[in-house]
Amino acid sequence: MSETKKLTKKDLWRINWRWLIAGQYGWNYERMQGLPYCYVLTPALKKFYTEKEELIKALKLHLQFFNTEPDMAHLIIGADLAIEEEKGIEAEDAITGIKTGLMGPFAGVGDTIYGVIAGTVFGSIAAYMALNGNTLGIWIWTLWMIFRWVIRWWFINLGYQQGAKMVTSFGGAIQKITEGAAILGLTVIGALIPTVIRADVPYVFKSGEVTMKLQDILNQIMPALIPVGLVAFVYWLLGRKGMNSTKAIFLLILLAIICYNFKILG
Amino acid sequence: MEISAWQIIVLTLYAFFSILDMLGPDIGLGRPIQAGFVAGLVLGDVKLGLLVGATLQLMILGVGTYGGASIPDFTTGAILGTAFGVISGKGLEFALGLAVPIGLFLVQLDVLARFSNTYFQHRADKYAEEGNTRGIEIMNLLGALPWGLSRAIPVFLALIFGSTIVQNLLKVFPDWLMGGLKVAGGILPALGVAILLRYLPSKTYIPYLLIGFILAAYLKVSMVGVALAGFALALINFQYKSAGATIAGGGVSGDE
Repeated sequence: MSETKKLTKKDLWRINWRWLIAGQYGWNYERMQGLPYCYVLTPALKKFYTEKEELIKALKLHLQFFNTEPDMAHLIIGADLAIEEEKGIEAEDAITGIKTGLMGPFAGVGDTIYGVIAGTVFGSIAAYMALNGNTLGIWIWTLWMIFRWVIRWWFINLGYQQGAKMVTSFGGAIQKITEGAAILGLTVIGALIPTVIRADVPYVFKSGEVTMKLQDILNQIMPALIPVGLVAFVYWLLGRKGMNSTKAIFLLILLAIICYNFKILG
Repeated sequence: MEISAWQIIVLTLYAFFSILDMLGPDIGLGRPIQAGFVAGLVLGDVKLGLLVGATLQLMILGVGTYGGASIPDFTTGAILGTAFGVISGKGLEFALGLAVPIGLFLVQLDVLARFSNTYFQHRADKYAEEGNTRGIEIMNLLGALPWGLSRAIPVFLALIFGSTIVQNLLKVFPDWLMGGLKVAGGILPALGVAILLRYLPSKTYIPYLLIGFILAAYLKVSMVGVALAGFALALINFQYKSAGATIAGGGVSGDE
């Protein structure tokens, strides 16, 4: 393989930004990130495959189904580039193997860390400050988002350096990070229950001169008793067959309208 | 107040780019809280924008489009909710009362955009047969249009026809519905929390959930404080596991 077929740092930088910006533009139900993946790789493919037949084969290969968490995809793209640079399209099976083999687990890890945990921690801090008219939390979140770009650039380089080896070397570390992230996430979620969910009972007992708010009695049993009950109810609801988040939203709105009109909540 | 032409244009453009940002660089423009903030800035009521955005953000905390699932479009909801809240002068409850149903309704357009892009995928297949890399590149970039337009068109139309529609809605929305939606705004975050609990290994790590609850409900620790405590707990677990691995050969791990 001649030197001209080697990727430069500049090529890698360009591919990194292509995915970062347009990695989901062509997302579609049939092959999800298939079209974007092929788009992102074209600068490299043009360099690797000077024979037209090889290029066509590679383009068709990369237009196939692909879907993972966008941040984690940088690792897969890096590893894919390393394999193709070294072995070319003959390594077709290895390329498909690394793409399809990693996209599932990486989606799980990426969605947990970036979507669920970072989204919850930074989102709740930003929302809390904003409810008091403070935008600082929004800017903290923005800083985190920019930090993610740095990690993405590091990921594509790491994948490229490690190539096919990445699969084994990265697995153990990711498991530990996910576990720690889950603990942080659950601690924050525990705190969200009494702070985010607002469900006050307006009922007031009257017996002669004595009036007693039902909400005060409930608070003495446990603060945020109704929010805890609601979360438990929805958690159970989501485990039912045929239930999804959109249906659950409609059910909760219906429940809210009923509770408001019967003066249970207000 | 009356909305002016430049405000309609800026908000429409914002809606277009908010989803493209969410799909790619993700600087945050696609989140409800930022959308509410920007809409508030444009319309001259930042406080209302922040309140609308933050409330909607809390309803879908940590909920993402995992595996290509569509979720309520509370980002567009925040733009329109804030806009109508300011235009009508009716404030937060009214804004939320509109934002939530709008966000739910717009899920349909998200599905339509994802569906439309299949056309570009098929065109790209043809270009691949010819070895036409430029064609494939253009097809992927054109995919940005269904995404952007699925947000920009409803915002544009709603703001153009908005003032009359808002006035009509005011007459139509009776108290039993408005009050109910207000309560719904309070309890909907329970869904976001429940989804998170389903998604995370919450049964294995239930003590941490309790610690977070106690810190906030009884000790009134702020959210940043709770996040720091969670970080400390994660580090303790990490060190404990690392130590356990050397001594007992890694026999401490929980489930899976």
